[in-house]
Amino acid sequence: MQSWRRKALWLALLASWLLVLLRVFPLLRLAVPARPWAGAPQGWPRWLDAELLQSFSQAGELPEDDPQPPQVPRGGGHCDWGACFNVSKCRGGGLKVFVSPVAGPISDTQRGILASIESSSYHSVSPDEACLLLLLLGPEAPAGECSPVPQQWNGGKNQLVLSLHPALCPQTFPPGQAMVAKASPAVDTFRPGFDVALPLLPEAHPLRGGAPGQLRQHSPHPGVPLLALAEERGGWRVAGADSPACPWDGRCEQNRGPEQTPLGATLPNATFCVIPGHRPEALHFLQALQAGCIPVLLSPRWELPFSEVIDWTKAAIVADKRLPFQVLAALQEMPPTRVLALRQQTQFLWDAYFSSVEKVIHTTLEIIQDRIFGASAHPSLLWNSPPGALLALPTFSTSPSDFPFYHLQRGSRPVGRFSALIWVGAPGQPPLKLIQAVAGSQHCAQILVLWSSEKPLPPRWPKTTVPLTVLAGQRKVSDRFFPHRAISTDAILSLDAHSSLTTSEVDFAFAVWQSFPERMVGFLTWSHFWDEAQGGWGYTAERTNEFSMVLTSAAFYHRYYHTLFTHSLPKFLRTLADEAPTCVDVLMNFLVAAVTKLPPIKVPYGKQHPEARPPLAPGASEQQPPAQDCINQMAEEFGYMPLVSSRLRLDPVLFKDPVSVLRKKYRSLEKP
Amino acid sequence: MLLSRLGAFWIMLEWEEEAVCVIMCASVKYNIRGPALIPRMKTKHRIYYITLFSIVLLGLIATGMFQFWPHSIESSSDWNVEKRSVRDVPVVRLPADSPIPERGDLSCRMHTCFDVYRCGFNPKNKIKVYIYSLKKYVDDFGVPVSNTISREYNELLMAISDSDYYTDDINRACLFVPSIDVLNQNTLRIKETAQALAQLSRWDRGTNHLLFNMLPGGPPDYNTALDVPRDRALLAGGGFSTWTYRQGYDVSIPVYSPLSAEVDLPEKGPGPRRYFLLSSQMAVHPEYREDLEAIQAKHGESVLVLDKCTNLSEGVLSVRKRCREHQVYDYPQVLQEATFCVVLRGARLGQAVLSDVLRAGCVPVVIADSYILPFSEVLDWKRASVVVPEEKMSDVYSILQSIPQRQIEEMQRQARWFWEAYFQSIKAIALATLQIINDRIYPYAALSYEEWNDPPTVKWGSVSNPLFLPLIPPQSQGFTAIVLTYDRVESLFRVITEVSKVPSLSKLLVVWNNQNKNPPEDSLWPKIRVPLKVVRTAENKLSNRFFPYDEIETEAVLAIDDDIIMLTSDELQFGYEVWREFPDRLVGYPGRLHLWDHEMSKWKYESEWTNEVSMVLTGAAFYHKYFNYLYTYKMPGDIKNWVDAHMNCEDIAMNFLVANVTGKAVIKVTPRKKFKCPECTAIDGLSLDQTHMVERSECINKFASVFGTMPLKVVEHRADPVLYKDDFPEKLKSFPNIGSL
Repeated sequence: MQSWRRKALWLALLASWLLVLLRVFPLLRLAVPARPWAGAPQGWPRWLDAELLQSFSQAGELPEDDPQPPQVPRGGGHCDWGACFNVSKCRGGGLKVFVSPVAGPISDTQRGILASIESSSYHSVSPDEACLLLLLLGPEAPAGECSPVPQQWNGGKNQLVLSLHPALCPQTFPPGQAMVAKASPAVDTFRPGFDVALPLLPEAHPLRGGAPGQLRQHSPHPGVPLLALAEERGGWRVAGADSPACPWDGRCEQNRGPEQTPLGATLPNATFCVIPGHRPEALHFLQALQAGCIPVLLSPRWELPFSEVIDWTKAAIVADKRLPFQVLAALQEMPPTRVLALRQQTQFLWDAYFSSVEKVIHTTLEIIQDRIFGASAHPSLLWNSPPGALLALPTFSTSPSDFPFYHLQRGSRPVGRFSALIWVGAPGQPPLKLIQAVAGSQHCAQILVLWSSEKPLPPRWPKTTVPLTVLAGQRKVSDRFFPHRAISTDAILSLDAHSSLTTSEVDFAFAVWQSFPERMVGFLTWSHFWDEAQGGWGYTAERTNEFSMVLTSAAFYHRYYHTLFTHSLPKFLRTLADEAPTCVDVLMNFLVAAVTKLPPIKVPYGKQHPEARPPLAPGASEQQPPAQDCINQMAEEFGYMPLVSSRLRLDPVLFKDPVSVLRKKYRSLEKP
Repeated sequence: MLLSRLGAFWIMLEWEEEAVCVIMCASVKYNIRGPALIPRMKTKHRIYYITLFSIVLLGLIATGMFQFWPHSIESSSDWNVEKRSVRDVPVVRLPADSPIPERGDLSCRMHTCFDVYRCGFNPKNKIKVYIYSLKKYVDDFGVPVSNTISREYNELLMAISDSDYYTDDINRACLFVPSIDVLNQNTLRIKETAQALAQLSRWDRGTNHLLFNMLPGGPPDYNTALDVPRDRALLAGGGFSTWTYRQGYDVSIPVYSPLSAEVDLPEKGPGPRRYFLLSSQMAVHPEYREDLEAIQAKHGESVLVLDKCTNLSEGVLSVRKRCREHQVYDYPQVLQEATFCVVLRGARLGQAVLSDVLRAGCVPVVIADSYILPFSEVLDWKRASVVVPEEKMSDVYSILQSIPQRQIEEMQRQARWFWEAYFQSIKAIALATLQIINDRIYPYAALSYEEWNDPPTVKWGSVSNPLFLPLIPPQSQGFTAIVLTYDRVESLFRVITEVSKVPSLSKLLVVWNNQNKNPPEDSLWPKIRVPLKVVRTAENKLSNRFFPYDEIETEAVLAIDDDIIMLTSDELQFGYEVWREFPDRLVGYPGRLHLWDHEMSKWKYESEWTNEVSMVLTGAAFYHKYFNYLYTYKMPGDIKNWVDAHMNCEDIAMNFLVANVTGKAVIKVTPRKKFKCPECTAIDGLSLDQTHMVERSECINKFASVFGTMPLKVVEHRADPVLYKDDFPEKLKSFPNIGSL
């Protein structure tokens, strides 16, 4: 046989085998049985006559052929906002609350709550004016007396039954049409959108102020254990990150021992806090929140507090207790970004709504007020991002971009102009030089003179390039922080008649403010300190290496703080400020610091005028009138010391650098 | 348990694959040896061989033809999806006495009535949905129970089948969707439909079964949920009221408007429109119509109340026309002329007009007490609608007028976005429903409020700062200094000595980036008061400096080059104090600026003495350690590799990253210094180099294009100590030694 033929045969056979292999192999693959993903999945069939199918609602047959309104089962055990609350009583004045008198002795907590409501803007003195009657149930009520149906019960219409602590005598009278605000209500009896779920507070929860969150750093410390498990008797059991084999079913009882934390109100130190779904465990929930430990709730049978407005998916994980391994795996694999966000949100929520009894009560009322407001209620963003809905009033605006806090989230910027608000006090000298200096700034939109002097208005004002308006003040210091309608810009430059600023200083300070629209940017500073000798707070105008307040006689801040100052501060504090004019600076700084939790910002100030100081400079403690002690009274009213110190000053980039003055934008700042 | 079983299953499958290979490989070997025998064969076999050869040749040709023939015969998907007619589906006879499920259980919640075990472990966090095959159900007399399937339900099942949720394996499914069409209760027989449900192969009291219903109830009482007894089955219903809706279990869905597909309606942007308030519904209860007419009488032109047309000519679709006295309006086009549109309840709470209204960018005014709005579990309807109690109907106008114009426009935009995302097609409705159920089962992977509610334009413009909590970290924690070095040991030791003088330093980490040379022996390193740790890297890459090393225990990180010896202890300590007040920013010493070059139409890097800064060099900068994680694992595009390949611009990349994620500017601390050291090419020395400047400008342009925007923020300020250069005794200042050369 010729060799070529042999070779050809060779080749042919090889080729044929290759071919057979190629064709057969996929067939064999298909032939392997019980492989669910063999081939494409058998989807829903494409019907040949799909085009001919009829629509589910025929155009001719109108579904509303019988427009009779259905019989709504009103009353009964079921209520919702539309059916059981009469909004018409609340139109106009917003939410006005009358607290129904409680029979018998009242506890300290109750008294505190009453006082807190009375000092708030919700309070109403007469049940006829009020649109909401509040019935406060106390924990101490003896068994026989806990079911007195109050006088103006009226079937419970427009009533709020509030019990902070799990009542000893639960539900002795049916709530009927009354809203029930109680701690950790069971999901089965909770009426969403009508009842309000409260947190289960510990016995000794502070009335006001409250302990700050425990979180001191944003990200979890590397050594911190992954999980802490809520124990039945109030403690926490820490499970290390490397012992995940033991989930929380109680199957690993034998592992208990040295790791167990002692009983009591110790806060867990872990990244995640696993809380079983039974009712008593709800107490653990607040502990975890305060500790900045992300709550992992296993099929909770109670409604999460304020679930109507708080987006708990941002701060907690509600998981199914039947899938412990999946949950555990999910926690272990959770990306750091999510952990970071959840942790911070727990702290924000704790500080904003849960850290004191007063906040819990105010949040409850705010939720009901939001229902009344309808379209002009708080948007969800205001509830769920700092500083929280209690400090972001919907009466100011419902558009987040109007507030100083949400520009980043909304991708917006504050308006690039400012209004100068010059307060002219008793001496009654028109601040002509100041007006010229301020009007010289290209960012100045308007000048408002708030004339609070008894002297008559000067007949003529200097000609300025920007509009100048004179407002007649009420001769009260707090009046300078009134949200005057004439203020048209986001930024306010607050000035006194005796302030002295150059245009350059104003321009630079405004440039800085635009980077920090939620803070106060000022020139002159004070600092507070703890006075060991006096056992109280003090403050000084002396120049130190740090500061915590800027004087409002020359400061930029957002106009929203005027609204907050006038409408959210307790009346008592405003009166205090009126009586002692220096207190008004302290009060404004308290307010802004309580909202931002950050220090104000200082910018350079050319001249150090002695006369720029307020007339009543603090420091000389002997001659201080009693009102000078306002810082302590305010700290008491706030419940804590909100002021935060800063050790830096923001200067222009080339400030006093050894470079030609011609290169510098704000050169007049450096004149001696 | 389940997990291990699943694992075993997988291993089995892999084994099978291997077995197949073993068989095949063996046969290959055998046959390769075979042909070697051929030459010894006799010539009489030659014919045989030639035949074989030709067969093989023919086979080859045939295969080639098959392979390269235009695929007109059958497309691959049609291999599996049968082409059949709905009329040909199998018929199932339901005996009159077959079981009926219990009525719906009102107390059902996910953790009581839903079997999560079926959803098992799923790394993708996606539920698996099975669809029963289509059957035609008839009773004992052969009378059909319902229309086999409607167009919309067919579309809905097709959408599920085409989605990632679908599985055709009933054993792996977590959710079951019957093919029995209950979208409209009026087209079915209740008892028999319930019997049909009960005989489904995995019915099991309806556990994990999902029913879709848009038109519930029937005359005269019009229940707000499907009347078909369904036991524990989840109900995705249109028109729930608070009395029938099981919060967290059922899903409220929209009533689909067929007009969505039929009518081509170009989008109309938000803004003031001709009519302030419009009512377009035809079947409105006479009492409510009276109320509406009264509002119109009071407010005149700005209110329009339409009714059905009585005298339309033949052939005109009555659903597409509305009338006011004798004037005829096109529907749904007329909705685009109104700012607010009334959505009033009829016999049912859920109204298809809601969908039309949203589509027109008209803000729905929902007047239907106790109605659960569609997808209300996840959608924030306050942003897109106004809900008015029926009692307050006469006040509607004044309620609406109190809403500021800006908010109205926002609501119009939001309404339109809701329609686009969740209303416009049956597919959108089906997928949103499944996503909601999926979110409940895998809560740790659920979509956020923003993902559900923010329109794309807002999502794009907004920044969610990862370190949003206002917090000043305690000073006691201190910072970790990370020194990146290659081989400049002498300079490195000087830097270590200088940095170790800073009071708040808590640890020093040297990243040894030289693979060819060992770091000096332990005894040679300077003795310092804090732990010093040397990390050796596998490759000489710039990104090593930003790796989130486990050794970093503090939140604050000081990145410092091995030649930055000119910073004083006061300056470094002050820098750390500044970082504590701005923990979410880059706080650094030498500042730089980016500028837009109008001539070249691109970005330019600037290192001159400018009045502004937008970047700080990471040759000496404090930042939060979280940004190391971001730099290493979340850097957009190919920037990280690009930087490593070019051995440049890692600091610019870091500036871009931080500014992009926080939306904030850098903080430059302390006055400008000459960053030069005698024996090394320091940052400034290098920066003067012309080619270096060009390269850096290239980096900015490259990064800006990858980020799709210019995230850097320009500011005019820097941070100095409170009393810096003030007329004040130096010895009383906290940080006296700042800015001196």
